[in-house]
Formats: sequence, structure tokens, C-alpha cells
Amino acid sequence: MTVAIRATDLVKSYTPGVRALDRVSLEVSSGEVLVVMGPSGSGKSTLIRTFNGLERLDGGALDVLGVRLDSTHAEPQVRAIRRRVGMVFQQFNLFPHLSILENISLAPVKVQKRPKAEVEQRALELLEQMGIQEQAEKYPAQLSGGQQQRVAIARALALDPEVMLFDEPTSALDPERVKEVLDAMRQLASGGMTMVVVTHEIGFARDVADRVMFMDQGQVVETSDPVTFFSGAREERSRRFLSQMV
Amino acid sequence: MTRWPDRLITLLLLALLSWGGWVVVHWLLHGADWSVVSANLPLFAVGSYPSDQRWRPLLWISTCVVLVVLTLTAPRGAGWRRALPPLWIAMAPLGLWLLAGGLGLLPVGTRHWGGLTLTLLLTAGSGLLALPLGVLLALGRRSDLPVLRWSSTAYIELMRAVPLIAVLFFGQLLIPLFLPPGLEINRVLRAVLAFALFAAAYIAEDVRGGLQAIPPTQREAASVLGLSPLQTLQLVVLPQALRVALPSLTNQAVGLLQNTSLMAILGLVELLGISRSLLANPAFIGRYLEVYLWLAAVYWLACTAMALLARHLEVQLDPVRSNR
Repeated sequence: MTVAIRATDLVKSYTPGVRALDRVSLEVSSGEVLVVMGPSGSGKSTLIRTFNGLERLDGGALDVLGVRLDSTHAEPQVRAIRRRVGMVFQQFNLFPHLSILENISLAPVKVQKRPKAEVEQRALELLEQMGIQEQAEKYPAQLSGGQQQRVAIARALALDPEVMLFDEPTSALDPERVKEVLDAMRQLASGGMTMVVVTHEIGFARDVADRVMFMDQGQVVETSDPVTFFSGAREERSRRFLSQMV
Repeated sequence: MTRWPDRLITLLLLALLSWGGWVVVHWLLHGADWSVVSANLPLFAVGSYPSDQRWRPLLWISTCVVLVVLTLTAPRGAGWRRALPPLWIAMAPLGLWLLAGGLGLLPVGTRHWGGLTLTLLLTAGSGLLALPLGVLLALGRRSDLPVLRWSSTAYIELMRAVPLIAVLFFGQLLIPLFLPPGLEINRVLRAVLAFALFAAAYIAEDVRGGLQAIPPTQREAASVLGLSPLQTLQLVVLPQALRVALPSLTNQAVGLLQNTSLMAILGLVELLGISRSLLANPAFIGRYLEVYLWLAAVYWLACTAMALLARHLEVQLDPVRSNR
């Protein structure tokens, strides 16, 4: 299996002396679903944001789809990555002044310079796949949180990415809306997409993840397959975290 | 039951109001001599523009009025509505061409321009120049480049600290100094430039307010999709920021229209200027109240039309409302 993301000794520090990432190393194979868990402030969001250059590393190096990112990488390298790595945020971050269809087709038309008609056709297919094709002409403010997040997923998929990053995609949703988003993600995973998912959803991690990585205080505490992790985590710190979860 | 002092006050106020109202109406109908207005309507409209060429400014003003009515009454979903924005933008160059002449029309010097035509042209010209300049200044003030940020801030603060009338005088005296000798630009253009430079500082602050209202996550979402910084600005940030700034920008536009009256002091015969020169005519001596009431009515009409247009624009640009 080829390696999609290889991280070596990643270091990131926002305030001197405090490491948000403290020598984190990991590998994600293509087609793999990696779920990252951990308490807030453990560095999991920071980690996933280094994968597409939203955060610049202070030390270590990343190899994302063959492109190297480190503390000195240049802007063109980041752009090369972003076209191939999709990202979904906790707060959806749709563009409120554009319709759903425009939200999805903006980047393919403006960045990839694909013909508008073809892109919109693809956008409608993606919306159908997400189960919200009837919302195409509406605006983000008219949709529920769960629908908005599925639009955000469709928007990322419209660029035909090789890797998808999810940064707590269900944390801002009403409980009854979580399932529809997780179902869309499951569908994506079963289609063979390489995914890195930061989430607190144990059910999703147990069913979908190939591996679960647990982080605390900027470090990787352990990486296990979900069965091992949820039935009897090796590390005391992971067990304490799991025991506090509902 | 109301107590008797309240009733007394109500009755007194009513009496006062009806007496005041009666005095005003009586003066309007019997005391006032409106011939100063009716005899000089062309003057108010186009100033001392050559009478055989008057159709040109009149055509422009009528086009403006037609466009206002069309814009406000266009039914939703009508295909020709798409043509309205470019038509609006074309109004300033069209007015310039109709008034100045050339390209087949008899050239008419700016000293013959005047009245409402000049007022509207000054407003449109300086507004069209000030808006892009203001946007650039607002972006400059938020720039990461220190030189750009400091110079934009310095410019904005300086312009806001100087009274408009001083800027206008400086404009008349200073702008010629920056031009190569031999190249002379006329008073109207100098006034428009000075006006635009002044208004841009205020517009910049309104736009900055709009820019600050856009959460940084919007930029992040755009950059994650691979949009370049320029595309992010053009497609994601500015459309939203200008929408937020629109109510304050309307304020600026109305202020701009009213402030053009200051140009009367520079000797331009726009609405106020033409009125002052009329009042200096022995035939109309002492008719101040009539002329200034008439002026107030014309300004009110123009500003109301602007406010209605702005409100219309706000509704058009609000995606959720227009889709409901």
C-alpha cells in the first residue's frame, strides 16, 4: 500500500515553551481511515491543519502525496497540496453570499478552470450522493447544520481530492443531525477515500476507522486498531480519557 | 381619565400647531411669489448651458430619472434586469460626453455647466472615483506590508482631520502643482478630484468595518479550496464586506450629494451656486425663502431617490431575502 501522508517529528509551537505538537510521527496509507481522538488542547486539530499547510511547522517534515511541507516550504507547494486534499471544518465555513450550487462549483471553475456546465453537473451528482439535491438553489443560511455540513463535504469532493481531512465535523451539530453527516462520511470511507478524521464520535471510530490515534499534550499516546483501543487501550492515559466519555 | 393639566397642554399644542400650519399654508399660497422658480426652471436644471444645446443635459437627467424608475419597479425575474448595473455605470461617462461634447457633439466649456445637471454629475463622478480608491485604502490599512499599512492609515487620518472645504480649496490650488506645466485641468475636474480624494477616506473606513465583519474562517475555507489570495478577496471577502458596508456607504453617497453644494463657494454654479447668482439678480431680490425652499425640495427629492435605490440594492443583494 502506498503512503499518502508521512509525518516525521512534527513540532508546532504557538507560545514559546509550549508545544502544540511535540515530535509527532505517523503514517497514513492511501485508502486508510485514521481517526484522531484526544482531549481538547491535545493538538489533534493543529495536527490535521498542518496536513494542508493551514499551520506552518516549526520543526519536522511532512510528505503529503509526495509533496514536502516543513518550516521553510514555499506557497506554491501548499497550493499544490490543497488542490488534492479536501478539508471539512467544524463550523462548515460555507460562503453565505453564494448559493449551494455556487459554493460547490466555485473552486472547480476558478481554480481548476473546468467548464462550468460540467462542474455544475458534477455538483448536482455530489448533492444527490449527500441526499440534498433539492437544496441546490438555496443559500447556506436556509439549511440546517447537518445539511450545511454535507454541502461542505460535497464542496471539498468537487475538487476530486485524494485525501479528505475532517476537523471535528459533527461537534457543532444538534445531536439529531449528527447521524446524517456521519452516514455521508461512512459512505465516503466505503468508497475507498483516504481520510483523517478528528472526532469524538466513538461509534464512527469503532465502525469505520482502520486505526485510532490517541493524542494528549501534543504527543501521540498510542495508535491502535479500534477493537483494541475501545476494548482495552494499552495506555493508562487513553483508558482514563475513554472512561470519561459517555 | 387624563388629568386636566395634560388636557390643557394637548389643547395648547394643537392650537399652536394649527396656527403655525395655517401661517405656512397661507404664505405658500398667497404670500410667496413662485415666479422666481417657475421663470428660471431651465436655469435650475442646466445652468447657463447654451439654449440651443439644452437638450443634452436634459436628456441626461431624463435618462437618470427613467433609470431610477426602471430600477425600482423592475419585476423580479425579468431578463432585462441584468442590463441595469452596466447602464448605471455608464451614466457618468454618458453625462460627461453629453455635457462636454466632442465625438460629433458641439463642445461646451465647463463654465457653462450648472444647476442640477452639474450637481448630479459632480456626485456621480466623485462617487465613482472615490469607491475603488476607498476600497484600496481599506485593504491597504489591513495589509501585512508595513509601508502600505502606515501610508494608508496616514492618508485616511489626515483626510478625516481636514474640513472638506479646506480640501476643496487645496484641490483648486494644489492639484495644478502636481501636473506638468502646460497641462491644465479645469475647475470642475479639479473639484471632482478633490472631492473624491476626500470621500475615499470616509469610504475606506466604512469598507474596513465591512472587512472586519467577515470571519477569518472564510479566508481559510477559500484558501483550503485552492483559491489564490486575490481570488479569495475578489470572490469571497469583498462581496460580503461591501454588503455589510452598504448602509454606511449609502450614508456617504447622500452626504456626497449634499456636500456638492460646497462647490458654490468655489464659484461652480451647481444647484446652490445657481440659486445664489439668481438671488443677486435685482429682478428677484429678497426672494430667499422661495428659492431656498425650492432648493430644499429638489435636494430632498434627489436624496430620497438615492436612499430608495440603496434600500433596493440591499434587498437585491441579500441572498436569503431575495430567494424567499
